[in-house]
Amino acid sequence: MRLVALDGLAEKSGFQLGQGVAEARAMCPEVDVLPADRAADRALLEGLADWCSRYTPMVALDGESGLYLDITGCAHLLGGEKSLLDDLLARLFHLGIEARAAISSSAGLSWAVARFGSQSVIAPEEAARVLAPLPMAALRLATETIETLGRVGLKQVGDIIEAPRAPLARRFGSTLLLRLDQAMGLEDEPLSPRLAVASLSAERRLSEPVQGEDDILGLTQELAARLKPELEKRGEGGRLFELLLFRVDGRVFRIAAGTSSPLIEPGRVAGLFRERLQAVHDDLDAGFGFEILRLSVPKSEKYEVMQEDFSGTPDRQRPLAAFADRVMARLGAESLFLPVLSESHVPERAAVFQPLADVEMLKTVEEAAPNVPASLLVASVRPQRLFQSPEPVEAVAEVPEGPPRSFRWRRSLHRIARAEGPERIAAEWWVDGETAAERDYFRVEDERGRRFWLFREGHYGGPTQPRWFMHGVFA
Amino acid sequence: MAENAVQREAVLSLRETIARIENRRLPGVVKAVKAADPAGFRRKEEGSQASGRKVLPLGIPELDDILEGGLPLEGMTEIRNSETRDAGAAAGFATALSALCQQARRQKGDVGAPVLWISQSLASTEAGLPYGLGLKAYGLDIRSLILSLPRTVKDALWIAETALSVPAFCAVILEIRGNPASLALSESRRLHVRARAGRIPLLLLRQSGHEEASSAFFRLHIEPAPARERPLPDGSMLCGSIGHPVFHVIAEKSRSPAPVGLFLEWNPHDRRFYPVEPLPAAAAADPEPAHSIARLSASSGRPGGADTLGHLVAFPRAS
Repeated sequence: MRLVALDGLAEKSGFQLGQGVAEARAMCPEVDVLPADRAADRALLEGLADWCSRYTPMVALDGESGLYLDITGCAHLLGGEKSLLDDLLARLFHLGIEARAAISSSAGLSWAVARFGSQSVIAPEEAARVLAPLPMAALRLATETIETLGRVGLKQVGDIIEAPRAPLARRFGSTLLLRLDQAMGLEDEPLSPRLAVASLSAERRLSEPVQGEDDILGLTQELAARLKPELEKRGEGGRLFELLLFRVDGRVFRIAAGTSSPLIEPGRVAGLFRERLQAVHDDLDAGFGFEILRLSVPKSEKYEVMQEDFSGTPDRQRPLAAFADRVMARLGAESLFLPVLSESHVPERAAVFQPLADVEMLKTVEEAAPNVPASLLVASVRPQRLFQSPEPVEAVAEVPEGPPRSFRWRRSLHRIARAEGPERIAAEWWVDGETAAERDYFRVEDERGRRFWLFREGHYGGPTQPRWFMHGVFA
Repeated sequence: MAENAVQREAVLSLRETIARIENRRLPGVVKAVKAADPAGFRRKEEGSQASGRKVLPLGIPELDDILEGGLPLEGMTEIRNSETRDAGAAAGFATALSALCQQARRQKGDVGAPVLWISQSLASTEAGLPYGLGLKAYGLDIRSLILSLPRTVKDALWIAETALSVPAFCAVILEIRGNPASLALSESRRLHVRARAGRIPLLLLRQSGHEEASSAFFRLHIEPAPARERPLPDGSMLCGSIGHPVFHVIAEKSRSPAPVGLFLEWNPHDRRFYPVEPLPAAAAADPEPAHSIARLSASSGRPGGADTLGHLVAFPRAS
C-alpha cells in the first residue's frame, strides 16, 4: 500500500507521494491513513463542476484534481476577473475545499500558474514573463520528458522559451513545443465542456434561500416566462427543459423534464416540473434551501403557432401532448405505449408496443397505412390478449397431431368442447435459428365458453417430445 | 301565497339536486328547468331526451333498459369478472364498448380520438397484454390506442385522473386486478366525478374481483359463454366451428336489475352486439371449480354459521 494523496500537514511532516504506508507509519506512528476511493473523488469533482456552473456554463474536467472554467464573457457579471476569482476561492474555502486558481488567456498558462505560480490574474502580454521562472512540470509534460530535459540542464520553462525550436523538436518530440505554445497562448486549445451548453437559460439568484416546492415551482414559472420571448423570437419551443437547483451548501440538483411536443407556455413548463418534483421527491433534499435556480433549454425544436378556430371541433393534439408530458414527467419516458404492427407471422413479433415519444407519432401512425398485408389481418384469428411468454400447459390430445381434448392450465382443468385449427406458424429461421420448432396453433373453447389460443411446439415422432403452451385469451 | 311559492321552488330545486346526485331521471322537474333556461339557448340533446346525461344506445332493448338508455358517456361503468381465466371475456366486452364509443365519435366527424387503456402491470401479466392484431380484428381502431402499464394501483389511478381531466380521449379503460385497498368507495367516487366533469366514459375493468360498493353508474358482471358456429354463405352453420364471441352479461348494479343476465354476441365486422339465445349446454353445464381437486368433506357436528337476516343493503368492503 502506498500513499497517493497528502494533506497540508502531511506534506509539512515530510511524507512523499508513493511512499509505502509501513514506512510512513515508521516515520510517524500516529499518522492517519484512509483508503483511497477514486469513485468518490470523481463524484466530488463532478459535484464541484456542477457547482462551478454558477459562474459559467462551460466547465470541463481536468484529470483527477482540476477543473477548467471558460469564463469568456462571464467575468463582468461578477465585477471583473479578479473579483470573480476571489468570490470563487472564498466560496470554496467556506465549503471546506482548499483550491488554487488562476485566470489567464490560455488554459495551459492557467494550469501552470494555478499549480506552480503565485499570481492570480495574468494579462495576455505577461505570459512569457510569468511562465519563465516556473519548473518544467508546469508545461503538462510526461515525467520522462521532464527528466530528460533536466538531465541536459533545462529545468525552467524560461530555458526553452528563447531556445531554437528545431533542435528541441528533434530531440524531445513535438509535444514539448505544442505544450509550450499552448501555455503561451500561440496555439489554440479547445476545452470540451462536461455537459452540453444549453442554447438558452434564465437564472435567478436569491438573497433568501427557498425550500418549499411551491416556491421552486413559482420561480420556475417566472424563469419560463423570461425564456418565452426569446423562444418566440427564434420560433422555437423547448423539447427538453433542465432545472438546476444550487443548494446553499454547494450541492447542485439537475432535474430534466422532456416534452412530447415543442413547448413555450410558462404554466405548462411549471406543470411539468411539478410532476418531476413529485417523482424525484425523495432524492431532492432541500436542506437549508436553494440559492440559485436556473432553467435552461438544452433541446428545442421548431414551434408552429396555432390559432384557435371556430369550427367547434376541439384541438386534440395539444391536450394530448399536455397529458403525455405530465405522465412521462412523473412516471418516466416509458409509461405510454402505442401498438405497432410489423410484417411477421410470429404472433409476439407481429404486434408490439412502442413507447410514445412524440405526440406527432399518433398522427403519422394515422396517416401511414400499416404495411401489413390485409389478408393477414382478416383471415387469421388472433386473441385479444397475448401472454408475453407462452405458459406451459399439460394437454391431452385424442390423436397425436390433433387438437387437445383437455388441458390443465394454472392448476385448473379445462375440458375442450370445440377446437379450430391447426394454424401452423413456422419459426423465423433468420431470427430464431434453423433448429427452432414450428408451432401449431389451435383456437379452443372449453365447456364453459372460455376461448383460448393454445399451441403445440414440435411434432410427435420428432427429436423431442412436443410441448403445449397457452399463448393468448380470446374475448 | 308568495311564501308558498318560494317553498315550492326550494323543494323543487332540492329534489332536482338529489336527482342529479343519484343520476336519476326526473322528467317533470328536469324538463321544467330546461325550459326555463335563462340564457335562452337550448343545448342540443343527445341520447335520451328525458335525462340530462349522454348515453350511447347499444341497440339491444333489454340491455339499454338495464343501462337506462345506453352506455353512459360521462361517468364510470364497472365491468367485472370473477376469475382470471375469464379476463379475456371482460376485456373483450370493454374493448367492444370502446370500439362503439370510437364509432360514435367517428360518426360525429371526430376521427382519431384515442382510447386510453391503463392496465396495472399485475393485471396485464396475469391475464396477458392487450394484443394489437387481435384488437384490430376485434373492431377497435388501434391506430388511436394508447396503452399504459403503470406499476402500482396508485400510479394507475393517477394516470386515469389525469386523462379524465384532458378533453382528448374518447374512452378510458382502467384495468385493475382484484379489490385493492387503494381503490375503495371514495376513490371510485373521485374517479366517477372526474369522468363526469371531463365528459369521458371511464370503463373500470375489475379483473377477478369481488363485488364491492362503488360509485359507478352500473356494474356488469361478464362471463364467457359458448360461441355460436360460423355461418356459411348458404345460411347453414359450419359444424364444430367457433364463431363470434358471446358474453353472458349480468347487471349487478342497476336500477332495473336482470338477475338472469343477457347473452350477447359481438360482431366485429358490424361493430355491434346481437342478442343470442343461450345454448342449452351452456345453461345446463355445472360450473366447474377453479381447482378441480377432491375437497374434504364438510365438518359435521357444529353450526355452519348463521344465515344472514334481512336485505343486503351494502356489500362489505372487499378491498
